[in-house]
Amino acid sequence: METVPVDSKNVFYPPGGILMWIIIFLELFTFGMALVAMVYYGSLERELFHESRLLLNASFGAVNTVFLLTSGFFMARSVMELKQDHVDKSIRYLWITMFLGLCFLILKGIEYNSKIDAGLDMNYNLFFTFYWALTFFHVVHVLVGIIILAITTYNLKKNAAKVELIDVEAGAAFWHMCDLIWLLLFPIIYLIF
Amino acid sequence: MKQITIIWGLLMVLTFSTAFVSESDVNYAAILILGIAVLKFALVSFEFMELKKAHLLWKYLVLGFLALFSALVLFIL
Repeated sequence: METVPVDSKNVFYPPGGILMWIIIFLELFTFGMALVAMVYYGSLERELFHESRLLLNASFGAVNTVFLLTSGFFMARSVMELKQDHVDKSIRYLWITMFLGLCFLILKGIEYNSKIDAGLDMNYNLFFTFYWALTFFHVVHVLVGIIILAITTYNLKKNAAKVELIDVEAGAAFWHMCDLIWLLLFPIIYLIF
Repeated sequence: MKQITIIWGLLMVLTFSTAFVSESDVNYAAILILGIAVLKFALVSFEFMELKKAHLLWKYLVLGFLALFSALVLFIL
């Protein structure tokens, strides 16, 4: 594995790389502004948002939080193992990370299916417009994250010596970003109203 | 390795606390739920993403985003 010495304390080299952190901030601000808009419209129609929120299954959201946080934990461990040149262990943790990401998507699929069956689609009301737009946009990010991790795993298995640590860290930062976005979505959509 | 395992345990405790707070009739539940979410966000970014090893600017940017987001939500709520 190629480990170019990087000084993380340098402003231009945050863990995962400066480009990834610019993307992370753009994503956080996009989701953040949309959530603030949701809270604003929720404050104008409190009863509608409260009744709509009760139609969601918060347990699904809580279990998905556990899936994503645990996957983030294994992602962090994978990077740590890679830094110590324990490639096999790093790959094993990457598989666990991806598996937990898939568990998140499966549970989300079950949740989406029950909402569609109940007729709670995007046009049902304003709350569900926000619910579908925000959660689906997040699901797309999780999917992209799994693809990035799958490519990283493939490259590590194929020829770990050619893989650069900064690339693995960038993939890890993207995965953690999905986690961060969910940590904001879950309380606002499922709990606060 | 031991430290991030403890952080993961703390994140699980905080997640279950959120579930408890949302099910109970606690006053200011929304503020508590948001506060726990902010704490979890900070733990993931500083520990799992190793932001604690980064330059101060990145730490302030993340904390600034969190402060701005929470302030706006609490102000509107």
